[in-house]
Formats: sequence, C-alpha cells, structure tokens
Amino acid sequence: MIKMKLRPYLKYMLLWMLPIVFLASCEAPFDPSETTYQPQIVVEGYIETGNSSLPTYVILTRTLPFLTTIDGQEFNDLFVKQAEVSVFDGDKVVQLTELCLQDLPEDLRKRAGEVLGINTDSISANICLYVDIADQLTREAGRSYDLTVKVENQILTATTTLPKAVALTDFKWVEPADKSIDTMAELRITVNDPADEQNFYRYLTATEKDRQFLPPAFGSVVDDALFNGQEFEIPLPRAQRRNSKDFNIDTYGLFMRGDSAFIKWCTIDKAHFDFWNTRDYAAGNSGSFSSYTRVTSNINGGLGIWGGYTVQLYKLYCPPK
Amino acid sequence: MKDLKIFLRNTHKLYSIVAILMMAFSVYSQETFTLSGYVKDKNSGETMIGASVVSVSDQSFAAVTNNYGFYSLTMPKDVYRVTVSYIGYESTSFEVTLDKNTNLNVQLSAGIVMQEVTISADKEDRRKNVESTQMGTIDVPVENIKKLPAIFGEVDVLKSIQLLPGVLSSGEGNSGFYVRGGGSDQNLVLLDEALVYSTGHMLGFFSVFNSDALKNTTLIKGNMPANYGGRLSSVLDIQMKEGNDKKYVVEGGIGLISSRLTVQGPVVKDKSSFIISGRRTYILDLIQPALKGGKFEGTNYYFYDLNTKWNYTLSDKDRIFFSGYFGDDILKFRQSTRNFRFDMPYGNKTATLRWNHLFNHKMFMNVSAIYNDYRFKFTGGQDEFVFKLFSGVKDWNLKADVEHYLNTKHTLKYGVNYTYHTMTPNTAQASNGDVDFSNNILPKYSNEGAIFFLDDIKLDNQWNVNAGIRLSAFQQVGPYTSRITQAHFKTFEPVKTYGGVEPRLSVNYRVSKDLSLKAGMAATTQYIHLVSNSSSTLPADVWVPSTEIVKPQRGLQYAAGVFKNLSKDEYELSFELYYKDLKNQIDYADNYVADISKDVEDAFVSGIGRAYGAELFIKKAKGRLNGWVGYTLSKTERSFPAIENGRWYPAVYDRPHDLSIVANYNLSKKWDFSAVFIYGTGKLYTPVNGFFLIEQQINLFYGPRNSARLDDYHRLDLSATYTPNPDSKKRFKGSWTFSLYNTYNRKNPFFINFDTNSDFQSGNTTIEATKITIFPLIPSITYNFKWND
Repeated sequence: MIKMKLRPYLKYMLLWMLPIVFLASCEAPFDPSETTYQPQIVVEGYIETGNSSLPTYVILTRTLPFLTTIDGQEFNDLFVKQAEVSVFDGDKVVQLTELCLQDLPEDLRKRAGEVLGINTDSISANICLYVDIADQLTREAGRSYDLTVKVENQILTATTTLPKAVALTDFKWVEPADKSIDTMAELRITVNDPADEQNFYRYLTATEKDRQFLPPAFGSVVDDALFNGQEFEIPLPRAQRRNSKDFNIDTYGLFMRGDSAFIKWCTIDKAHFDFWNTRDYAAGNSGSFSSYTRVTSNINGGLGIWGGYTVQLYKLYCPPK
Repeated sequence: MKDLKIFLRNTHKLYSIVAILMMAFSVYSQETFTLSGYVKDKNSGETMIGASVVSVSDQSFAAVTNNYGFYSLTMPKDVYRVTVSYIGYESTSFEVTLDKNTNLNVQLSAGIVMQEVTISADKEDRRKNVESTQMGTIDVPVENIKKLPAIFGEVDVLKSIQLLPGVLSSGEGNSGFYVRGGGSDQNLVLLDEALVYSTGHMLGFFSVFNSDALKNTTLIKGNMPANYGGRLSSVLDIQMKEGNDKKYVVEGGIGLISSRLTVQGPVVKDKSSFIISGRRTYILDLIQPALKGGKFEGTNYYFYDLNTKWNYTLSDKDRIFFSGYFGDDILKFRQSTRNFRFDMPYGNKTATLRWNHLFNHKMFMNVSAIYNDYRFKFTGGQDEFVFKLFSGVKDWNLKADVEHYLNTKHTLKYGVNYTYHTMTPNTAQASNGDVDFSNNILPKYSNEGAIFFLDDIKLDNQWNVNAGIRLSAFQQVGPYTSRITQAHFKTFEPVKTYGGVEPRLSVNYRVSKDLSLKAGMAATTQYIHLVSNSSSTLPADVWVPSTEIVKPQRGLQYAAGVFKNLSKDEYELSFELYYKDLKNQIDYADNYVADISKDVEDAFVSGIGRAYGAELFIKKAKGRLNGWVGYTLSKTERSFPAIENGRWYPAVYDRPHDLSIVANYNLSKKWDFSAVFIYGTGKLYTPVNGFFLIEQQINLFYGPRNSARLDDYHRLDLSATYTPNPDSKKRFKGSWTFSLYNTYNRKNPFFINFDTNSDFQSGNTTIEATKITIFPLIPSITYNFKWND
C-alpha cells in the first residue's frame, strides 16, 4: 500500500554499504537467559458486516513460552476450550457456541475450515471456535460490540465497532514492470476516501486457485492521513505470506493471468487498526537496528484482537494476455 | 510566559552582578602588566590550542592558550622567566621585563619523540590535570589519535574518545557515543563552532570527521563551563587546522575503504593560509562493472567529506577565518526487474566565518557567523508511483564571545549567542500519476538565544573557582498552526517560549603541588531533540525542536574528584564521581510504529532519568611507552509514566563496567606500535518473553524493557606504523600502517535475531534465536604520504 516505512530501506542501505561486513558477519545459536514468563490468554475474534460477512467467531489460545520446537500435541494444547464467550450488540447478549473441529459433522467441519482458511482433513490440532451459529447478533455499520470471555477464573473484555463501508470505485489490470513476465499482472484499484472522517482500511486477497483470504506480507492496514478526502489509484499487491514456500520477491504482489482475484476490502476502527499496524510493524521490525514493538491489543486482561470488519468483497477476473 | 518572566528577571540580576564584579576587579588592574600573544607551530604556523605559558619563578602565574592560540598573562611589574610548552613540542623559555604591556608571539618546534628522554617541557602542560578548575575535560590532540589502531584503517576521532572513561560506544564499530548516561542527542558536537547534527557516515560506522583536517578535539563530559550550552551531557569541541602559512604541503592516504588528500599552504606567507582536505570511499565504485547489465545496475553507495579553511591576519589585532565542511552519504538503489528505485542522500554542510579581535592585551573577542544544514532525503518509487521524504535542520547562528584576562586573579568570559532554527521533521510527498499525496507536515521555526558570563577566579594558591551562569531562551515561532488550539501564527509570531537559568560552578582545592580535589555542578537545558527507537542513531531519525507539545530537556549534574600527578608528573591520575538528574526526557512508547504520515512529536512520551557513576583514569604521558587506562562503574536509568507504568528501567546504554586500555610503544624511529583493549558489560535488550498465534502466524511478545543483557563485550586491536626513511631529507615521505581489529576474533554479539517457522496444519513450530556478530578479526593496511615544498 502507499504507506511507506523507511526501516526496510535502511536494511538495503546496510546491505549495499557494507559488503565486507556481510561477508564477515556470522551467526551462532543463542540461548536467552531465563525470562519472567507469565502465560496469557490470546483472543482472536471477528465480527463482520457488509457484502461478505462471515459468522461472528472467536478463537482462544494460550501464549507460548520461549521454546525451540513445539510438536502437534503441544500445539493442540494451545487452544483454550470450555470458555464462556458472549457478545453484546447494544440490544442483546448472545452466547457464542463452542465448536471443536473434530466433534463436527463432516460438512460443517469443512465450512469451518473454509472460514479459518485451513484444510480440515489434514490438520492435527482439534481447533475450537466460539461461533454465533444462529447469527443472532445484529451486525450493522455504526454499532459497537462488547465481547466478554470467562475462562479459567479470568474475565477478558473488549469492544469493537463496525465503521461505515467505503467502496472501491474502479479496478484496472496493468502489465508488471518486468515486461518479461507475461503470465502475471498488477492490479490497480481506485479508492474514494470520505473527507469528513478518519478512515482505517485493511485488505485481504484470495484467488480461485488458492481460496484462503490472506493479508499482504508487508503491512496490511493503512489510515487516510496521507490522502484524506481524495480519490486516487494505487497498486494492490496480491497477498502472500512472507514465509510461504512460493513467496518470490520478484513476483510478489502480482496476480496470475487467467485466474480470478477476490478482494476483501475492509473498513475498521482505530483500535482494530492499531492492532494490525503494531503487529505488522513488529513482524517486520526485528534485527540490527530495531528496538522492539509491543503489539497494541484491545483486549482487557489478555492479548489479541476483537475486531470489526465492514467488508466490501469483489471478485475480479485477470484476463490472459 | 512564566519561564520568560523568570528569564528576564534573572537577566537583570546578571547585569547587576557583572557591574559589581567589574568595579571590584578594576582595583587590581592598576599595578600589573600583561604579557600576551599567540603560540604557534614553528613549521606550519598553526596556532596551538591549550599550550601552557608559565612563569618559572612563581608558577601561580600561568595561562593556557585559547581555541585561537591566544594567551594573556597579567603579572605584577617584575622580570620573569617564562616557559611556553605544549605536549609533543620542545618547550621554549625566555626572560621578560614586564614594565609595560607586552605582546609576544611564541613559536614552538615539534619535538623529536624518538629520543630516550622525551621533551621535558610537557611537565607544565601535564600540571593542568591538577591545576585546572575544569573536571571531566580531556584534550585529545589528533596526532595522538592517528597512532591508535583503527577498523579498516580509518582513523576516527569519535571512536577514540569512546576509549575515555565515562564515554560509551553506541554499538559495535559505531562512532555514536553516550556520555555519563546521556542520550546521543545530548552531546554538543562542534566543528569550528558549527553544530554537527549528524556525526556518522554509513549508519554511524564511520564519523564525519576526517582526521587529516583536524587539529584538536576537546571533550567536556561534565560541568561544562557557561560558554557552552544547548545540550545536557557533553561538549565535543573540534577545531580544524588553519593551514600551513609557511610552505605548501600535500598529504594523503590510501586505505581499504577510502582515500584522503589534503593540500595546505600559504596564500600570503605568514599572513594568510588555506587548507583543503577531502576523503571519499570507493569500494562500490570498483564493483560497478560487475553490476552492469545485471538486476542491480546503477546501484551505488559512497560517502565523501570536504573540509576547507582559509584565514587572513589583517593586523596584530584582527584575524579572520572562513571554514566549511561538506559531507554526504549517497545511496542509489536500482532494481531493474521491478523497476524499483530509490535515492537516499544525506549529509551536513557547515560554514563558519569568524573574526578574532584584540581590544587590548587583556581582551580577546571572537565573533562568529555560522550556517549549518543537515538534510536527509529519500526519493523512491516504482513505475509511476513516486515517494519523497525530506527531513533536516537549518541554522543561522550569530555569536560573540569575549575573553577578558582581567588581572592575576580573574579571567572572565562573557558572550551572546543567537540561532534561528528551521527544522523539518519528515515532510512526505507521494504521487501516483496525476494524484499527489502529502502528510502536510511543515517545517517548524524557532529562535534560540543565550547570554553567559563566567569568571575563572584564583582565590589564592590553593583555591580556584570557576563560576558562571548561562541564561537561555527558546521560542517557537510561526508560521504555524497550533495542534492544540488550531490557532494560526504568522511568520515570527511567538507560539511558545521557554527559558533556562543554568548556573555552573567548579571549585579546585589544591592540597599540594601534585594533588587537588575538585567539585562542581552544572545545570543545563536542551531545546532540540533527537529521538531514536533504534539501538543506534540512524540518518532517518529526525531532530525536533521544543514546541507547544515537546518541552525542553533539563539536566543537573554534580561531580567531585581527586586529581593526582605521580612520579614527577609522569603519571596523571584522576578519580571522579558523578550524579546526574534528567527531566523531560523523550522517548517513543513501546508500541511506536514509525509512520511518516504522522508528526513524530505525537508519538513521544516524556519521563525522567538519573545516572551516577565512578570513573578512574590513569595516564602515562611520556616515555617510549605511553597510554592510559580508563575504567567506569556506572548506572543509568529512566522512568516514563507511559512505559510500564513508570517503572525505573535501565537505559539502553546502561553498561555497569567499562574498561579501556590504550598503549603506544615507540620502538625506534621506524617502528611505532599501539594496542587497545576494551571490555564492557553486555548490551541491554528487551527479551522475547513468548509467542502467540494470530491469523495462524507466530507473533512475539516481549518482557520488560531492557531486562536482559547480551554477552560481555571485549576486543583487542593492534597496530604498527612503519616509516621506512624517517630521517629522509626528501620532500616526499611515506609510511605504512598495519592494523588488526578484534585480534583474537572475539564473537561479540551485535544483535539477536528471532526466526519463527510454524505449520498450522501439522502444528509443528520452530522458534530459533540467533546471535549475529558483525566484525570478526579484520586486518587492514593504509599507506600515508606527505610532500612539502
């Protein structure tokens, strides 16, 4: 996105400035001294409205202490079960229902897998979600939602809001800068940012081939500080995980020609933005010149995020050349 | 406004004090005469800073040359034998019948250091350790710095001062430094009086000071006298050479990283001279052919420095100087496959015009007009998308200082200083085709002013006092739109005014000829700030002024020490204790995200700090083997209400133990050897406490700020200088310097990197911490040459 951060460039700078240093630098395993680890509950919950709204759900996990490896069983134990999770939508309190993947019938399990972006056939952990299965919550822009989690003698609370939708106004496919790549294209979107309010955006993409919605690798959120009230066109990179096997910096952000592209364009509130903003920054901000960045959570009594998305979903087709 | 009233009230008081003192002092001046003049190097005509001028019969009559080589010594009418000396030079003695005010310029010849018995004249010079009221002040002649081992053979003033007690390096191989628990922005770094805002090239791995162009460096790490201000922690006052006014000299060096060339000579013999000195790196220029046709064609990085100075002696009483420094780092990055490019130039420019005027034998005045400019630019983009970022500081500075050698007991200094600052904290513009974006962050303008008065008082043979006061003021002015009230301020219209009353006091009690006790305090105010959330200062970090939102930093330092000379002044010893109290310290909160669309001052949090420590310094200044041992035991802490609820935590540069051993050995005329050993407690960092899952990804969460340490740091550097023909009468002379950095290849940790790998499907997760070391054993070789006509 158009938000620019200088720190990655400083890394380039070091790379180009000190070839000798890099030839000479070396690495060795490091065993950190004992730290005062205190386990915490991590909330990951979303409530959506708009033209593609997933059911409201919450995943509860535990933090991990500093360990070098975790196996499937230990991973399974991270998921917090038998919690009491409820959401107040301003009118009523709705109790979310605990659904553990392995206890679900085949078709429901598959659907839950789609929501989470996982393959339920091969996953080893018995992931449990807390879901508003009957869709009782009134989900609409302008409302606030209070989450309460009661688990293991702890009470965690959080509030999020669903902001007004901001639709994308145009889409364009253009050739990539590297003209030798003719099987892929760059997507340009047009945003018309409303002038009267501060807006925060997050986007995710998926393709027909790879249906899981993912956030982009380098910063998934942006606010309108640089372009409040303007209509403008920007490139929208296809999202990929930085550590995925098919990640290639030379083709990062490009869409495959002949494939469909799904754009999930979301408006979010300030607290929700702060969470992803600090989290994305922390993920890209470790190393030689960094101090550290603590992720800003909106969860009282725990870590994580209770976030509202007002979603505009677009399905586009990237034509072959 | 309240601050301004206090400031004005105190100004009034100060004038009254000055008037009373003037009346009191006039009593003495009738019965004495003054011996004054300049001390210069006989070969080059360079004025000498800090040379001693002492009466042999009564050593209480002593003076030291100022930053322009001027001395003034007032004594009762009599016949005196006077000795003039400077370390590394042969002293000279002469008889003076002082029955009238006498002007006497003295020339000293560089000593032949190879002799068994080195120059006896250093003796008086070394007495300064015991005699001066100043504490925590160290003069480091640049010639001494050149003998020390240097990484990649690059001689570096800033890395040398890191070897002094109370001074810490900001990181492995880095020229940034911290003094007595103060931040890196709390050091006043001056080059010929011009403020140098960014002291590092190549992310701080090399300093901007080309040692070939420098004459002297003075570090004041505590109790700064009232003529210095604007920073809380220290003063590093660097003077450039003036240029040889007798003959033309060309000297230079060829090293692994850079090469240097200096030309100096007379413009009008004995009256006017110039020096021009340049340095440039070229390692990536050399690989340009290899990049041609590849993905990164056009990518390059280099830095350069250019120092120039010209001076003209108008008369016995007037001399003018013009000096300039221009330095830049230039980074160009090109990646053809993605049509991605950026240019990142940054650097300093300074220009100083000075006028030295002697009113009479006792009054020396310097008036300076100084311009300095630090700019950081980033221009980058991909296809039609272009992004530009600019930050910088531009100062216009006028100052006048008078040194008034009133009588045998009082030396006064007083002066005024005014600076107009223009500070641009990250103005960003972006365009994509026809659409422009801007963060609308405009430059901030401010006036900074100060008046000071100080008196160096010799009460009797035992008590010396240096008392001074500095009154400072800072005013943010328009054009500006208040970010609190939205009110608009026109050009030069005051937005916010701050004042500072900064008393300074140093007392020296001479217990015996070679033992003294000193104590002092200094209150300081700092109106401009540099905040970094990195482990070291980066070029992208921006200087910001005090504003309606950001308050000035304030500091108060107390220090006391014992100073002793041993074995007929062969050894100098000092032991100092200090305590420092810091207010309005600025930092970023834990969850800070660098975002150029926002004004950085919105991300600041404010807190307090304290630092205390003990410093031991043992120096052997003469003999074939000379050098020093410096050891510091210290603690530095900060407390910010917005960071972990105000818990006192150790500052990132808290290093309890810090030891430096420096030794030079002169084996013969041909061979000189040097060794440096450094030991320091490991650097602090904020440990990763654990991990959590979000969007199926592993995320880190951290323990308390700065609550873990890396391994201790230690290193030995060695160097040897070989001069093949030391006695050669030829005009061209060369020497070779061989250096070993980190001789025993200690793997000092630079940082810890965390790598996480998690497969959500299988649940298998790996988390690895790796210690990264950057500088192993590095050998280097440099060839230096000198030609003179």
